[in-house]
Amino acid sequence: MKKAIILKRAFEIIPGALSWGIIISLIALSVAYPVASAILIISFDFYWIIRTIYLTTLLIMAHHRISRQRGKDWLGLCLSLPAGKGWQDLYQLVIFPVYNEGLEVLRPSLEALSASHYPKEKFIVVMAFEERSPRAYDNALALEKEFSAKFGSYLSTYHPDNLPGEGRTKGANASWAAGAAKKLIDARRIGCEHVVVSCFDADTCVDPEYFGCLSYHFLTSEKPHQASYQPMPVYNNNIWQAPSFARLVEISSSFCQMIDSMRLEKFVTFSSHSMSFKTLVEVGYWPTNMISDDSVIYWKSFLHYNGDYRVVPLYITVSMDVAYSSNIWKTIVVQYKQKRRWAWGVENFPFVAEGFMENREIPLLKKLRRSFNLLESHVSWAVWAVILMVIGPLPIFFGGRLFSQMAIAYNLPKITGLLFQFTLFTSLTWIFLSWTILPPRPKGVSWLKNVLLLLEWFFVPAIVLLLGSSPAIDAQSRLMFARYMEFNPTLKGNKVL
Amino acid sequence: MPNWLKSDRAFQKVRSLLFYLSLFLFFCGLPLILLFALGYKFNRSSLGFVKTGLIYIKTQPEGANVYLNGQPLCEKTPMSIQELIPGVYRITLTLTKYYPWRSEVDVEAGKVSRIDKVILFPLRPDLERLNRSGFSSFRADTEEGKIYYLDEENRIVYRSDLEGKNFEDIASLPDKFGRIDGWGISPDKDKMFIFNSRQIGVVFLDNQDDYMYSDSSISLDCRREEIIRVFWHSDSYHLIVLTDKHVAVIEARALARAVNLVQLNKEAREAFYDDKRQVLYFSDTQRGSDGSLYNNLYKLELSPELYLLERLMKKANEESHNFKASF
Repeated sequence: MKKAIILKRAFEIIPGALSWGIIISLIALSVAYPVASAILIISFDFYWIIRTIYLTTLLIMAHHRISRQRGKDWLGLCLSLPAGKGWQDLYQLVIFPVYNEGLEVLRPSLEALSASHYPKEKFIVVMAFEERSPRAYDNALALEKEFSAKFGSYLSTYHPDNLPGEGRTKGANASWAAGAAKKLIDARRIGCEHVVVSCFDADTCVDPEYFGCLSYHFLTSEKPHQASYQPMPVYNNNIWQAPSFARLVEISSSFCQMIDSMRLEKFVTFSSHSMSFKTLVEVGYWPTNMISDDSVIYWKSFLHYNGDYRVVPLYITVSMDVAYSSNIWKTIVVQYKQKRRWAWGVENFPFVAEGFMENREIPLLKKLRRSFNLLESHVSWAVWAVILMVIGPLPIFFGGRLFSQMAIAYNLPKITGLLFQFTLFTSLTWIFLSWTILPPRPKGVSWLKNVLLLLEWFFVPAIVLLLGSSPAIDAQSRLMFARYMEFNPTLKGNKVL
Repeated sequence: MPNWLKSDRAFQKVRSLLFYLSLFLFFCGLPLILLFALGYKFNRSSLGFVKTGLIYIKTQPEGANVYLNGQPLCEKTPMSIQELIPGVYRITLTLTKYYPWRSEVDVEAGKVSRIDKVILFPLRPDLERLNRSGFSSFRADTEEGKIYYLDEENRIVYRSDLEGKNFEDIASLPDKFGRIDGWGISPDKDKMFIFNSRQIGVVFLDNQDDYMYSDSSISLDCRREEIIRVFWHSDSYHLIVLTDKHVAVIEARALARAVNLVQLNKEAREAFYDDKRQVLYFSDTQRGSDGSLYNNLYKLELSPELYLLERLMKKANEESHNFKASF
């Protein structure tokens, strides 16, 4: 038992120790051996240029796939499937875990769901409220009155507070709701293998074709129960009202998700996603004491199926709210907390590493590869902006007179400058693509907002440092020192709060 | 196989190709970039890399033509000449209407020879006359933004701003004062001293453009000692006087008596007064413990707490004085 705790702590310490180790070593190297530091920085700069071009190409490919599949009649494709595929028997269980969101957030989500181009009688909708939320019962009743008749089944659940072994997490609420749904499904004698469950953030508005697309992919997959289905999250619900930097952060998040969708061997579920209900039941639902339930459920399934589990990207969007608040500083805090919560996904590493140690069926190479991918993504999230923007100039500052006379001291800022020129080039691509995923400008929003959307990209360096590296370092440091985070839902709303 | 799965696999193939292409670019490009960064150049004749140096040139003003061993280069300053085989190079910088700059520069392998503090001076400097009429000497006060002109011939003091504009007469020099060896404006800009070897005069300046104080100037006569230097104390009231025999302090008022602070063994021709810290630096010869005379530099602190000075003044009333003050 003690050995297991020590091992767990060791795995918790590794990501933070690596990130801090890289940062501190590079700073120390800049002071003690500026030439060595300059060589490492130039190597990193060049790596980053190549990586940025590579990732931008993947983004273009993902964007192309989304554009190509936009407006596709997925339901028609489902209907054209052979009868043996089981389309007629398939049900869609949709769970919306609600913390304290009001009707102004929940109603658009259900309206979007009811506008789906998909047979409504196949829907089992569960609005999963927290019992401790003072507005839960009133909101539940209001929504039931308005939407219960629109779907095949409609259920409101109230997750009790402080159940043993549970944290105050979204996963605990979703699991409680899934358990309640299971009773309903069993009562209706529907086999779990005929149910696809989608767990959506409360502000998620689905594309009308989403469930057609999901069903088609589920029914035509080789091993449909051994896959999660990940739509592309965009933050379009209130994007025209959100402050520019918050908008920029969320667009970048969407793009990162789109890029990841092209790297299937690394692709992990994030935010709103779908999966086989049978698998969900088999793995014991979402984790009830971890914050990053959206990705942990993937790893639970991955371990359950001995590594034969994957994420199928759905090139169709689900739209959510940009997190922002009443003024710029509060918005920075809201964004920072949200990004730190995302970065808390680093808790997956000890979970996965422990799981890999226990599981003897997964090939060692696969374990090493997946562990490395997971660790590398979190460590580079924490350090890349710091290396480029903070450590990059340090050899010049600390190099002294001797270093300043060396050719490498002269060439370091030139090569770094070249890097920024390259990133400017790739930024232009990102700007163009960001325009294409924007919803139409609502009436009453000035055309000047278009210009602002363009100019906001100049804030990218500051934003990646503030809301890129810092929350990740923060999260990893907390995990390293066992200062575990509690679930802190992001303040969201379609209107300025 | 459904179309989406075919697409997935096709895109994964393209992605793999891109990935390996990126890897190839990185591992092939990185050594070249690092060699370039470290100052290496590919030598076609030897088919190998040679470590080179570079010269970085920056001038004030910018835009100068650069000649390397007599050959003109395309770029203008600021610029760098890269990939130079180690050795000595002749650099000439030219700019129309400026004196050229020439030097030899030693280039070392892997190093930057920086010529970044070159100032090109104009052939015909733009001279601008500032004074209004004749003057014997001037003082520039850049903090106040004024130039003070002393016109001995016309016995007046006038001033302008630093651009030689906004002239105003601010004082008349006392008629009975003889030759002027030196002068200085008080820190409060209200008065000035003038002195020669035997006299110190204090002239009140008119800052209201109405110089009617000439009659009230003070004359401090020194009969027995030669006055060498005079400084204003920071209070604008005391004068620090260096004679051939003493370091003395005297108030800038009629009938003031000087206090000899230090007796000098030799003429202290060199002295500096730091009016910010109120310290006088002067040289003098003093006898050491071995009986020999040594020339030393001394520091005399004239404390900002003026009571020290005032106490000295009171004590000095009964002592012998070398100065006699009168209107």
